[in-house]
Amino acid sequence: MMLSVENGCYKYPKSERQILKDICFELDEGQLLAILGPNGAGKTTLLRCVMGLLKWEKGVSRLEGRDIRRIPNRELWQTVAYVPQAKAAAAIYTTEEMILLGRSSRFGLLAQPKEEDMDVVRQVMERLHIQHLAGRKCSEISGGELQMVLIAKALAAEPRVLVLDEPESNLDFRNQLLILDAISSLTAEGMTCVFNTHYPAHALQRADRALLLSRDGGFRFGPTAEVVTEAHIEQAFGVKAVIGEIETPDRVLRDVIPLSLSSEAAAVTGLAADRRSIAAIAVIAHDFARAEEINSLLHEYGEHVIGRMGLPYRPGGVHVITVTLDAPASRVQELVTRLDRLPGVSVKATYAKDKEEAPIG
Amino acid sequence: MKRAEIGRLSARARLFLLILPPLTALAALCVGRIPLAPVEVLRSVAAHLGAGYELNANTEQVLWSMRFPRILLALLTGAGLAVSGCAFQSLFSNPLATPDTLGVASGSCFGAALAILIGWGILGVQALALVFGVVALGLSWLAGRGRGRGMNTIILAGIMIGSLFTALVSLVKFVADTESQLPAITYWLMGSLNSASYTTLAMGAPLILIGLVIVYLLRWRLNILPLPEDEARTSGVSLRGLRIVTILCATAMTAACVSMCGQVGWVGLLVPHICRMRFGSNHLSLVPASVSLGAAFMVVVDTLARTLTAASIPISVLTAIIGAPFFILLLRRSGGWEL
Repeated sequence: MMLSVENGCYKYPKSERQILKDICFELDEGQLLAILGPNGAGKTTLLRCVMGLLKWEKGVSRLEGRDIRRIPNRELWQTVAYVPQAKAAAAIYTTEEMILLGRSSRFGLLAQPKEEDMDVVRQVMERLHIQHLAGRKCSEISGGELQMVLIAKALAAEPRVLVLDEPESNLDFRNQLLILDAISSLTAEGMTCVFNTHYPAHALQRADRALLLSRDGGFRFGPTAEVVTEAHIEQAFGVKAVIGEIETPDRVLRDVIPLSLSSEAAAVTGLAADRRSIAAIAVIAHDFARAEEINSLLHEYGEHVIGRMGLPYRPGGVHVITVTLDAPASRVQELVTRLDRLPGVSVKATYAKDKEEAPIG
Repeated sequence: MKRAEIGRLSARARLFLLILPPLTALAALCVGRIPLAPVEVLRSVAAHLGAGYELNANTEQVLWSMRFPRILLALLTGAGLAVSGCAFQSLFSNPLATPDTLGVASGSCFGAALAILIGWGILGVQALALVFGVVALGLSWLAGRGRGRGMNTIILAGIMIGSLFTALVSLVKFVADTESQLPAITYWLMGSLNSASYTTLAMGAPLILIGLVIVYLLRWRLNILPLPEDEARTSGVSLRGLRIVTILCATAMTAACVSMCGQVGWVGLLVPHICRMRFGSNHLSLVPASVSLGAAFMVVVDTLARTLTAASIPISVLTAIIGAPFFILLLRRSGGWEL
């Protein structure tokens, strides 16, 4: 296990509100954790506590099993690198000077950077495709470029854990993709990454694990698909949202689309305002053995099922099942998520439109 | 720019900065009420280094007992004030920070004024100036420290402590004897290198040299100081330790300068900014450039101070009169600067 937090609690001095309560999570090497939550829920506070920049009131962060506050300063920051929000950076240096500062933990206090440190700067810039920024001042480049420079600075420390504070905020589409692709390829190479984000969709598309914070200090942690659901988003943000899939020629992207604010009551009780809707779920199982598991799963939702049909198609080696439900949307979503997790099973839900939403004419 | 040279000075700049102070010093040795030819000066220098030249006793007296200690003092205070100004600006990420931001210079001035009031000699004045410089720093630190408070609180505390000591200086002036003490205090406060002698240097120079050496060795690390707090803390260097060492060095240098030659304004603000505009904000080049230009600037200003008129002009007056227009000219030509 690379990075873990056990029972982390935090409260700002002079404040009544327990901002973080009993936070627990574990991350393995090469995993990507997305931290989500509404403004003021304590996302940045959580990051700072995890890295030991703030002291947990109770609880502990561990890096490879060692208490993070007992690891010597220099050793800690050789392993963990932090990428702050781009807007806060001091802009007086050139991009190369800035990236070179990332090497600080790699040589002695009185030593100066050597040729090999310059080489690392060059490699990191090539790795992130920002060689063209060489020689320019940090104050003269765009927000997206500055964010890349700050990531490069963090990578220059050759860390194994990368912590990023809202790396894709305030950036346009293209720059968001550039940053997210960079993070994805780093985790593919075995880097453990943690990032804060305002975009649940980014968590769904990229992260292995998600941690969703609520304003009341509660949290959910787990595989992203289990944490980032319509019900949980409504509970944490007080926003009704749908999670949809967009199919492109080469992959299926999951997206989160906010619909409307939940009523005050809904925000508190979470599922109460969940509207009932008619939904048809189409399931294709590539493995006949799965049919049994699917059946038992459907059985759990028996009260909502109003019809089902199974069609084994032996020449194609698939089993097609259609289930019609009359259930709260969150229940439907839950079922879809659980079905989706079975190996060799494809699943998609279609919801009946409300009458007032029916197309005119 | 070759990448291997990130933040380093070019060979030309290095050569220029290396020979500027010695050349200025040599020129200053020639100038004065008794003008000396450069050849004469060089001969004497060579003789002191072991060459066998015949020397004129009068020339020797002027050169080595009067001019040389004074030029040495100018070199040291110029470099010391410029580097401590540079350190304070980075430490507080504030382009307006000067060696006096934490009240050190005001404290030293009070110490000196107090010593003159009591009637102590030059060494007493120097010692008390040093003591009160450190006292002022201690008070600013005590008033501004605390968990979770940023460097801005310490700046504010420093400004308050500074004005407290300025008020105390006024009080000392108020009670001082108007015939003898008051002019002495006033003249001393305006700054002058008249008191330069090897004895004065013996007390102040080591402090300046130690401060310079430490800051010079740490110069690449100083780049971390202007970064935002969290970024600096995650750099793998003890930010607290670095800040304390920087403050102590800058304070020691400032207090030592003020104790030897009174309050010399402007150098700590002017020289670092000229260097920033010319050589960039990387301390790898900024610190050596400040040492060199600070030293040379001070020698030039002091030489003017002692030669322009029969009685030497207070040095603060000249640093401002020469410095301000030059600074504004540079500012307009370079299109501003930032920190």
